Amino acid sequence: MAAATMNDIKARMKSVKNTMQITKAMELVATSKLRRAKERAENSRPYQTALFEAISDIRTYSATAESVFAEKRENPKTCYIVVAGDRGLAGGFNNNVFKLTALLEERIGGSSCYLPIGRKSLEHFSKPGNEIVSEEFSSLQSLGVSNALAIGKLVVTLFLEKKIDRVEIVYTNFVSILSQVPDHKTLLPFAPLDENAVENAKMQRPYEPVYEGKPEEMLASIVPDYLGGSIYIAVCESFASECGARRTAMNSANKNASEMIDNLTLRYNRARQAIITQEITEIVSGAEAL
Amino acid sequence: MSTFHLEIVTPDNRPFSGEAERLLVRTTEGDVEILPGHIDYLATVGTGRAKITVDKKSRLAAISGGFVSVSGKKVSLVVTTFEYADEIDVNRAIAAKKHAEELIKQAKDATEEAAAKARLLRAMSRLAVASKK
Repeated sequence: MAAATMNDIKARMKSVKNTMQITKAMELVATSKLRRAKERAENSRPYQTALFEAISDIRTYSATAESVFAEKRENPKTCYIVVAGDRGLAGGFNNNVFKLTALLEERIGGSSCYLPIGRKSLEHFSKPGNEIVSEEFSSLQSLGVSNALAIGKLVVTLFLEKKIDRVEIVYTNFVSILSQVPDHKTLLPFAPLDENAVENAKMQRPYEPVYEGKPEEMLASIVPDYLGGSIYIAVCESFASECGARRTAMNSANKNASEMIDNLTLRYNRARQAIITQEITEIVSGAEAL
Repeated sequence: MSTFHLEIVTPDNRPFSGEAERLLVRTTEGDVEILPGHIDYLATVGTGRAKITVDKKSRLAAISGGFVSVSGKKVSLVVTTFEYADEIDVNRAIAAKKHAEELIKQAKDATEEAAAKARLLRAMSRLAVASKK
């Protein structure tokens, strides 16, 4: 009987060791991907900032141009761009984003439609009764700049056609390797300009800059790029967060596995010792009987 | 020679950041050359080319979609793609052009066709810039 337990323990140790190999590999992969994703997010930030500045500039000097994109509509239909991961095994990463989306829907009210990014997000929102704007962007990892710009263009077109009245992006902010916080941003309509800021800007530059072309047309061509840039940053942040969350999850899985292996080794040694003791007892009692 | 601070940014990186003498870009309204001391200015640029002069040496580049702005002493060229002429992979551009032509033939609706045409335009602009280096 004792030999049977020993074999059982041995088999379990082997399976735990195998799992540990996988989780260890996943941890390493997540760490290296995380670094690259973080870099991509940092590299694209100047682009988004520059676009934001140009848009603020036009809005400061041309009140008519801004009205189209700052228009607040009653009983809005909101388009939620929800950025989640392609795979599970990343702790609460995906669920936290979905929870925040549900919370936002409650707070904003009105009707909703969804533009999921990432396979898990697409799976989550593909339910009967849900309106999906596009199913094209089902991979978070391979979503590049051109895809992000395409999404920007798409939502701006829908917004201008009044098919949607508000655009929210829900993503995960990468604070540090240990902390990733779900967050959201209102992409459209633009928040009204701060009047003090407008005054300040006009004081610093009392004349209007020269615009080549109509301010409305320039805004119309810059705004989709700005949204695309913002979406790209959110995507990179989310991907870095997914890797961070997976790294943490895999790290604790590794710790649990090595703890289990320690316990199993102890039990294995005890079982082995028990067999040896039993054999010695048998031999000694056998010798005595002679 | 007097210079101005030029920043070129794309969503991927920052291909140039430093002092430049002049910047020639094709805006949607026509070619514009920016020299030091330009008035505050903003113009959108389409798919085309840009010429940057630094230390009396000019470099040609293929650009697509974005804008150019002058704000005080700072000039920014913000575009979706930016490639120096000598860094353009001609074979890749030719392949991209062929691929775009295929896409135009296969396009099912107007949006697809417009996207494919924009692709073709970018590939052709890259080739044109690369041949002039």
